[in-house]
Amino acid sequence: MKKLQIFKISLSVLLVGLIILPIILCSQSWPTEARDYLFTNAYSETGASNTVSSIYLGYRLMDTLGETLVLLVAITGTMSILINLHNQTIEKIETTLTLTPEKRPKNALRTHLVEVVASKLGPIILLFGFYVMLYGHISPGGGFQGGVIVASAIVFLALATDVKTPIVNSKVLSRIEALAFTSLAIVAIYVAIFTQGIFHNLLNQEQNVSANIIILLNIIIGLKVGTSIAVMCIAMMGGRHDN
Amino acid sequence: MIIERLLIFILFLTGFIALIGMKNIIKKIVGLNLLNASIVLLFILEAGRSGESAPILDDNIQNIVDPIPQALMLTAIVIGVCVTALSLAMAVRLYKTTGSLDINIIKERIESEN
Repeated sequence: MKKLQIFKISLSVLLVGLIILPIILCSQSWPTEARDYLFTNAYSETGASNTVSSIYLGYRLMDTLGETLVLLVAITGTMSILINLHNQTIEKIETTLTLTPEKRPKNALRTHLVEVVASKLGPIILLFGFYVMLYGHISPGGGFQGGVIVASAIVFLALATDVKTPIVNSKVLSRIEALAFTSLAIVAIYVAIFTQGIFHNLLNQEQNVSANIIILLNIIIGLKVGTSIAVMCIAMMGGRHDN
Repeated sequence: MIIERLLIFILFLTGFIALIGMKNIIKKIVGLNLLNASIVLLFILEAGRSGESAPILDDNIQNIVDPIPQALMLTAIVIGVCVTALSLAMAVRLYKTTGSLDINIIKERIESEN
């Protein structure tokens, strides 16, 4: 029985290795047509000097819309699984992320350190996340990266339980997320009706192209990603911040 | 160049072995993450050979790397986070229902209930 399982596993690993090894070792030279096109035209067509931003918020914005849909589906599934779980347990266990003051001397592993450091670092990381989000069109960064930094800041603020702020409340976060997704959909529909097609660059009606739409979409996507991941993390930490 | 590719190959196989060989669900999820990371690294490595400077257009910049794989991998990383979160939530659910994270014990307990 045991030997058969090891044989099965090694056989499938061998097969997958044989399939994947030529793909990894393939030394075909990378095609440069797309890179050269983007190098000459990306700035004049989208107004963003960060070409990664101009791809995922300019040329391939439909993909980004689909990706935010995937994120929405994932958070819906996670929350529905975890919320049903909390309803099933009959005795309501008060799970806190930190210990109550009278228990602290007995438990040396949980000290004030987590709360102090997290509550001091949280606002700074939040500010840095918004900086990365807002300057995504001219520097490394963008909506997704800034959103993940914002999510980590919110998790830090949730760890610091002494801080009473509405930003760690799951309801507030879910509403921000719904608002961000709705505004993304509204931008898509507006642009589809009033200009040349879905996600045509709507703010650039004049000759000189500006990065306004890239900044707007960076903010929307950053809020969406940040609040989604923060809601999932807070739900996994015990959902203490529901009320 | 061949060393990096072989390391990525080993990372991929490690993730695959963890995915199919491990009994613990959490280790399987870690294996899924390793698979995701190896593919992301492969794309970034391949695209990194196409130029020298970061793809942020400036006045005096030449020979940028191809930004398309970077944009694609940005998407792949976010999808990887989604997959991890969903599978971890399912693992929590299984643990609360059956009281174990071992797939054999979970199977036994589910069969004994029916």
